[in-house]
Amino acid sequence: MSDALPPNSGFRTTGRSRRGEPWVWLTAAGLAIGVIMALGLFLLILLKGTASFWPRPIDVMEVRVAEGATEKIAGFVTQESTRSEPDGTEHREIQVFRGNKDIRPEAFVFIDEANIASRSRPEDLMWVERMEYGPGIIEPVALETPEGRIEAADPSFHDKLDAVIERSEQAREEILDIERHQIGRISRELEKHERAERSGEKTAQELAGRRAELQASFEKLQAQSGAIHDKLKETKLVGRTVDGADVSYTSDVLVRTFMPNAAGFFDRLGEALSRAGAFLSEDPREANTEGGVFPAIFGTVVMTLAMSFFVTPFGVIAAIYLREYASQGLMVQFVRISVNNLAGVPSIVFGVFGLAFFVYTVGGTVDQWFFADKLPTPTYGTPGILWASLTLALLTLPVVIVATEEALAAVPRGVREAALACGASKWQTIQRVVLPASLPGILTGVILAMARGAGEVAPLMLVGVVKLAPSLPIDSIAPFVHPERKFMHLGFHIYDLGFQSPDAEAAKPIVYATALLLIVVVVTLNLSAILIRNKLKKRFAVSSF
Amino acid sequence: MHPQPNAPDPKRFEVSRATLWFDRFMGWAIRFGGIGVIIAVFGIFYFIGKEVVPLFRAADVEPAGKLEAPAAATGVLGIDEWGELPFFYQAGGPVAFRPVAGGDGFELEVPGLEGAEVTATAYDPVHRRVALGLADGRVGSFLVEYARSHGDDAEVSAKVTPEPWFPLKSGAGPVTAVSYGDSGGGRIIVAKRGAGPDATTTVLRLAMKRGLIGAGKLTALGEVEITTELGAEPLILRASQNGSMVLAACANGEIDYFLANGAEVTKRQSFSPFDGEVPRQMDYLFGGVSIIVTGPGGEQEQWSLFRESEDAERMFGLTQTFPPLGDGDVLFAASQRNRTFLTGAGGHLSIRHSTSGKTRWEGEAEIAPAAAVLDGKGEHFLVVSASGEARRYSVEDPHPEAGWKAFFGKVWYEGGSGPVYQWQSTGGSDDFEPKLSLMPLIFGSLKGTAYALLFSVPVALLAAVFSAAFLPLSVKRIVKPTMEIMSSLPSVVLGFLAGLWLAPILETRVPSVMAMLIAVPASALVMGFAWCRLPIRFRNRFANGSEWMMVVPVLALAGWLGWQAGPLIESIFFVYQDPATGREIADFRLWWPQATGLSFEQRNSLVLGFMMGFAVIPVIFTIAEDALSNVPKSLTAASSALGANRWQVVWTVMLPVASSGIFSALMIGFGRAVGETMIMVMATGNTPVTEWNIFNGMRTLSANIAVELPEAPVGSTHYRTLFLGAVVLFLMTFVMNTVAEVLRQRLREKNKIV
Repeated sequence: MSDALPPNSGFRTTGRSRRGEPWVWLTAAGLAIGVIMALGLFLLILLKGTASFWPRPIDVMEVRVAEGATEKIAGFVTQESTRSEPDGTEHREIQVFRGNKDIRPEAFVFIDEANIASRSRPEDLMWVERMEYGPGIIEPVALETPEGRIEAADPSFHDKLDAVIERSEQAREEILDIERHQIGRISRELEKHERAERSGEKTAQELAGRRAELQASFEKLQAQSGAIHDKLKETKLVGRTVDGADVSYTSDVLVRTFMPNAAGFFDRLGEALSRAGAFLSEDPREANTEGGVFPAIFGTVVMTLAMSFFVTPFGVIAAIYLREYASQGLMVQFVRISVNNLAGVPSIVFGVFGLAFFVYTVGGTVDQWFFADKLPTPTYGTPGILWASLTLALLTLPVVIVATEEALAAVPRGVREAALACGASKWQTIQRVVLPASLPGILTGVILAMARGAGEVAPLMLVGVVKLAPSLPIDSIAPFVHPERKFMHLGFHIYDLGFQSPDAEAAKPIVYATALLLIVVVVTLNLSAILIRNKLKKRFAVSSF
Repeated sequence: MHPQPNAPDPKRFEVSRATLWFDRFMGWAIRFGGIGVIIAVFGIFYFIGKEVVPLFRAADVEPAGKLEAPAAATGVLGIDEWGELPFFYQAGGPVAFRPVAGGDGFELEVPGLEGAEVTATAYDPVHRRVALGLADGRVGSFLVEYARSHGDDAEVSAKVTPEPWFPLKSGAGPVTAVSYGDSGGGRIIVAKRGAGPDATTTVLRLAMKRGLIGAGKLTALGEVEITTELGAEPLILRASQNGSMVLAACANGEIDYFLANGAEVTKRQSFSPFDGEVPRQMDYLFGGVSIIVTGPGGEQEQWSLFRESEDAERMFGLTQTFPPLGDGDVLFAASQRNRTFLTGAGGHLSIRHSTSGKTRWEGEAEIAPAAAVLDGKGEHFLVVSASGEARRYSVEDPHPEAGWKAFFGKVWYEGGSGPVYQWQSTGGSDDFEPKLSLMPLIFGSLKGTAYALLFSVPVALLAAVFSAAFLPLSVKRIVKPTMEIMSSLPSVVLGFLAGLWLAPILETRVPSVMAMLIAVPASALVMGFAWCRLPIRFRNRFANGSEWMMVVPVLALAGWLGWQAGPLIESIFFVYQDPATGREIADFRLWWPQATGLSFEQRNSLVLGFMMGFAVIPVIFTIAEDALSNVPKSLTAASSALGANRWQVVWTVMLPVASSGIFSALMIGFGRAVGETMIMVMATGNTPVTEWNIFNGMRTLSANIAVELPEAPVGSTHYRTLFLGAVVLFLMTFVMNTVAEVLRQRLREKNKIV
C-alpha cells in the first residue's frame, strides 16, 4: 500500500493517481460520519444531561393576550420553533416553563414571540422546589414562623429559610423512619399473625393481646408522625406569583429554594452540583418526574453485580471445558458456533425465556415448596430481581465464554508445556499458569458482560423491573437481602418517564440526566474493558516468541 | 542406614495422591459444569418451544361418564356454566335435572303452564332461556337459573323462573316455531303460527319497563307481521341472541334477514346458500354475527355479516365452508367462549372452529345422539339419544383459534370483508375474537430492519473500507474503539432520543433531510474530484489517511447547506393544496398524504432508520473492518507493486477477497436490527401496518413481545402466540448468525492458505 512507501520517495504520484480518488474520499466521508455520529451523540447527551441540572435564569415576560390586555409570565424558555400559519405568515414561538402547577395545571405555555411586550429578569424571583406540583416560581414576601415573621427584605431571611428547609428535611426523614420502619415492623408482625391464624397454629384469642398492643403502638406512632407534620405546618413561606396571586408554602413541602437571577456563576455551579447530588441520592417524587433516581441506581447496581456473580463462574467453567477438556472435534466446533451466535440472539427472546422458565417454572415450584402458606399470592413465582439477574446472566453468558476462550487460547503453548514439564498436573497448570495469564482477558469479558447487562432493558420489562418499587432489594429488614423483590432500573426509568409518564415534557430534564448517568456507567465499563484488552495485547506480544 | 546423598528418593517422582485426586476431581467438575452450562444454554430452545407446542395440538376428547336422561327428552338440552347439572326439557313436561356426578336427579315444574299445550320450543344457551310457543297462540319463556355454593364441596342448585306470556294478535292456530332474542333492555320474539302456505310469522317486540321499585316489568311494545316479506313458509326461525335481527330459512331455500331497529323490522337481505334447497340446520355462533348452515347434502357453511365496502350496509356473505356431514338429523351446539361449535349427523360428531375452518376433533358417539350441548367453559359436552341415554365427554382444546394458517396465512375474521393478515390480540368485548396473524409483525420487523440497513450499511461499509485500507495504525487504535463503544450505547437511550428528540425535529424538516442525504455524499465525491486536481506539492503536505479529517468541514458545510435548503425545496416541490379553499401551503407533512395517499406520522421509519444506525453501524463496521484488515498483506502489496493505485488495490483485491466476511457482517447487522427492541418500541408508532411507507411506523415482533407479554394471561393463546413470535425471531437471527459465522470461518481458512 502506498502508506508503506517512505515519504518523498518520488514514487508518490503512482499512489496518488486520480482514478478512483473520489471513491476514496467517499469512504473517508463514511468514516467521518460514523465518528461524528458517535461523538455527536455522546456530546448531545452530555450537554442535555448536564444542562438539566443547571439553574437557568427566569424571565418575566409581559404577553399581550387580547386587545389591550397583558399577562405576566415568569419562567424560562425550553424550546423555540417556527410555525407557519395557513395564511403564509411565519411565527416564532417559544415554549416557556412557568411551573406553579398548583395554580394552573399547565406548567408549559406556548408564546408567540411577536406578542411579548417586554422581558425582564427581576432579581428577587425565587425558584422553589416542593414535594408536590413540581417547582414554583414566586417573589418571596416573608417567612412566617411561630417565633415571628421575617420579611424577605430582612438580611437574615435567606439564612432562616435555609435553616427551615434543613429542619423540614430532617423531620421528613424522621417521618419516613416512623412510617417505613416502625409501622412497617408492626404490619409485618400482624401479617405473620394472620398467617398463623389461617394455618391454625394459633387461635385469635391467643393473638388478641398482642394484637391490641400492636394496634396501640401503631396509633402512637401515627400520632407521633402527625405531630411532626403539624409542627412543620406552623412555618410558612409566603410569596406572590408574578401575576399577583398570593401563595404560601408550609415548610413540610419545601425541598429547596434558589434565586437564579441574583446568583453569580459560582452560586449557579454550586446549585447545579447540589441538584446533581440530590438527583443521585434522593428518592423519586411525583410519579418519578421530580426528585432523584437513587432506587434506580441501586437496583441497576445490585442487578448487575448479581448478574456478574452468576455469569462469571459459569462462563469461565464452560470456557475452560470447551478449550481445555473437551476433545476438539466437530461437536465442540458446533457448540462454539452456537454459543457465539447466542450473543446475537435478540435480548427480548432471553426475557421471554426468563419469564417462562425462571419466573413461572422455577419460581412457581419454589413457592409450592417453601411458601405454600402465602399462596395464591406468589413470592418467587412473580418477576423479581433474582430472576432478572439470572436472565441477564444467561444473556451475557456468551460474552464471557467467548472472551474467556480467547484469553485461554492466547496463553502460549510453551508456557503450558513448561508447567507440565515441571510436573504440574493438568489442573495445577490451569490453576497456576493458564488462569492467571488469562485473567485480564476474563476480566475484560466480565466487564463487557456487565456493560451489556447494565444497558439492557427489554428483557427486564418481562422479568422484574417496575416503574416504582416501594422498597429496595437490600435493606435493614431481616433477612436483609430480598431477591424476590421487584426493582427499579435506570434504563427502564428512561423508557417509563419518556413514554409512559403523564407529563413527559416536565420529565424531560430528568430523562436526559438519567440517560447521561446510564451512558456514563456503560461507557466507563466499556472503556475499562478496552484498556485492559489493549494492555493484554502488549503483554502477550512480549511473551510470545 | 543413611541414604546416599546423591541417590534420588524414588518417591520424589511420585505425584502426591492429593494432587492426583484433586486433578481428577477438578477434571470432572469442569466437565460436569461445562456440559451443564451448555445444556442450560440449549435449554432455552426447549423451554420456549415447550410453551409453543400446545398451540398446534388438536383437541383431545375423552368419554367422561354417562347418565340417564328422562326417556324421549330430546326437546331442549341445557347445562350450567360449570358443566355439572344438565337439564332436559320436553314440551309440556317438567324440567328434569340430572347431576353428572351421578346420584338422583330432580324435576321442577314450569309454573303457570298448567293446562297449556306447548307446541314449539327453542333454547338460548347464553341466557339459558327456553322459549315456548303454545297451542293457544301465546308465546313466552322460562329461565333456568343456576347458583353454586362456595367452598370445597360446592354444589350447583337450579331453579326455574317463568317470564310473562304474551298472546299473539296476528295469525291463527298453534305456534309452530319460536325464537327469542334478548339484549337486556330490548327483546324480540319471532314466532310462526300455523303451517303450510297459510302460516303467519310475527315479530313481537318486548321491553323491560323500569318501575320505581322492583326489577321492572316486561311489556309488549308491538307486533310486526313479516309473513308477506318472506319468500315462502319459514321452516327455521332464529332471532339473534342480542335481539337485533331475525333470520328465517324458508321453504324455497332462501334465507331472509330482518333487522329489528326500534319499532321497525325491515328486510335487509335474502340469500340462498344451497340453490333453492332448504337448509337442514341454521344456528348462530357465539357473538351472533355469523350463522352456520347445513345444506341437504351435508355441506356446512358459515355466513357472516360484513361490509363489502366501507360505506355499504352489513350483509350476510359466505365466509367459510366445512367438510360435509353425513345423513341424519344435524346436531349443533355453539361454544359460549369462542368460535368453536360441536356438530354432527348420524352418530358422527366433530368439533369445528369457524374462523379457521378447521376440524378440531372428529369421532363417533357411542350412542345415536339427538341433541348436544357444550358447557360454558367449553370443557365438556353432553349428547343425548332419543331413547334417553346421555354421554358426557371432556374436551381439552385450549387453543382452537391457533394453527399455522392463523399465524402465517390470511384469515377471514368475522365482520371483515375478506381474508387478511391481522394482529389484534385484545379487544373490549367478551365476544371479541383475537386476530393473531404474525405476518404484520414479521413484516414490521423486516421493514424496520430494511430502513435501518438502508442507512447503516453504506456508512458502515465505507467507514470499514477507509479504516482498513487507508487509516494509519495509530489513528485506527483510537477510532475503532470509539465505534465499538457506540455499539454498547443502551438502546433505551437511543430509542428515547429517537422518539422525543429526533422525531419532533425531523417532522418539519423532511425536505432538509432529503437534501442532506444527497448533498453530503455528493460533497465528498466532489471534494475527492477536486482534491486530486490540486498541485501535488500542496497535497503532499497532508499525510495519506487523514482524508477523513479533511472531509469533515466539507461534509459539515454540505450538511448545513442541505438543511438550510430544505424550506426552499419544500416551497418548490412539496406544495399542498387545501381542497376546501384551494390555498397552497408548502408543507411536506400535508403534501405526502395528498400526493401518495399514504400517511405521515411523527415517529416514522426515517427516524427509526437513522437511530438504528447507532446500533447497527458499529456491528457491521467492526466485522467488515476485521475482514478487510485480515486480507493478507502479500496480496495487497503485490497489487501495489504491479502498479495499482490505492483505490484499485481496494476495489480489485481487498473487496473481493473479503467479500464473504463483508457479507457475514451484513447478516450479523441484520440480526442485530431485527431483534432490536427498545428503539423499535420507542421510535415507531407500534401500529401493525403492512406497507413500506417510509413516513409511518410499524410494529415489530420484538416490540410486540415487550409490550404485550407482561399483560398476557399465562398459558393463554395470546401468551403462547407471543412465545411463537419469540421463536420466529430467534430462528431468524440464529440462522442468519450461523450462516455468517460459517462464512467467516471459511474466510479465515482461506486467508491462512494464502
